[in-house]
Amino acid sequence: MPADALFQIANPMALLGWLALLAAPLAPRLAQSVAAATVPLVLSLAYAGLVLAFWWEAPGGFGSLPEVMALFTHPHTALAGWLHYLAFDLLLGAWEVRTARAEGIAHWAVIPCLVLTFLFGPAGLLAFGILRFTLTRKVLP
Amino acid sequence: MTAIPALPRAWAASSPNPHLMRLTLLVALTALPVMAAYGLDGRMFQGDSIWLKPLKFHLALVVYTGSLAIYAMLLPEGTFTSRRWRIYIGAVAACIIAELLWIGGAAALGTASHFNTVGLWGVIYPLMGLAAVVLTSLSLAMGVVFWRHRADPPMLALALGLVLTFVLTVPVAGTMSSGTGHLVGTPVTGARMPLMGWSREVGDLRLAHFLATHAMHVVPLAGLTGSRAAVWATAAGFTALVGWCFARALMGLPPF
Repeated sequence: MPADALFQIANPMALLGWLALLAAPLAPRLAQSVAAATVPLVLSLAYAGLVLAFWWEAPGGFGSLPEVMALFTHPHTALAGWLHYLAFDLLLGAWEVRTARAEGIAHWAVIPCLVLTFLFGPAGLLAFGILRFTLTRKVLP
Repeated sequence: MTAIPALPRAWAASSPNPHLMRLTLLVALTALPVMAAYGLDGRMFQGDSIWLKPLKFHLALVVYTGSLAIYAMLLPEGTFTSRRWRIYIGAVAACIIAELLWIGGAAALGTASHFNTVGLWGVIYPLMGLAAVVLTSLSLAMGVVFWRHRADPPMLALALGLVLTFVLTVPVAGTMSSGTGHLVGTPVTGARMPLMGWSREVGDLRLAHFLATHAMHVVPLAGLTGSRAAVWATAAGFTALVGWCFARALMGLPPF
């Protein structure tokens, strides 16, 4: 399957997961099953397939920044990297929604953190970490 | 029968306002990524790192909300935690977050926040002025509550300081923000005060703004004298000082 076709399928899938998280208060269990299990696992399956099929021919490596940059010049490896972002960011978003719900943090306050996690992964984690610490004085999972 | 000796007045009647403490913590912690950007980003704006201004606003707002949270300790528990106060502090928090997002966002995009009249920025600018008035009004509102206890000199000093922060800041900041920039006059060659960055060659409205904003820290110190006259004199003197700095800046003259 061409890398670009997989990319075109993966993006809307992830988006579906994020929409489920935004609407999570309406159906918390459904949102978690979509965003914390189904979508990340399907993306992970595609990722594992890509790594098994293309890692052998990928240039570069993990040892230096130029090596990592070279790694991302290979379309299927770059796609795998993208799926990695999509899957883990969504999983993180689901954790934020779940944690907020368990600790009594209002969902509307989590939405900006979800947007940041969707766009800039770790910046969203930081935003949620700050919000959570501010409201509950908790940092640990 | 001997009179019961007056009990020493409890200095702290309650704990710091929890909502303002949370807000303070939020503004302080969100300064951390701004500091990281300050260290990493080489872009400059008007001679300083582009991230200096957002950092100054985080610091100033931490001092502001932190001071108000601590001042709340001097009045009985629950004075500022009723439903009405919670809603009001929530609105102030929204304004503070909006200001920080606006100033930080403008820095990230390498443009001006204040005095920016281009496109959407020009639409946002007056709204941020409104938000600034709302967030400053909290000092006025709390000052009015302290005013009810004005028989006690320290309470009078706090009341005057808090009210003056609003009354002096709004006209100074309003004048500054409705102009074209914080400097008045030419030529600007770049001679500035160390650390604070105020101009030493032309009028700089930021000095008057700075002093006006800190009325809530200066005037309460006079309350420690226990003299109502000293409190009133300090309040009047400080107002005159702000007026003098404001007038000199408007005339295009450096403060000293």
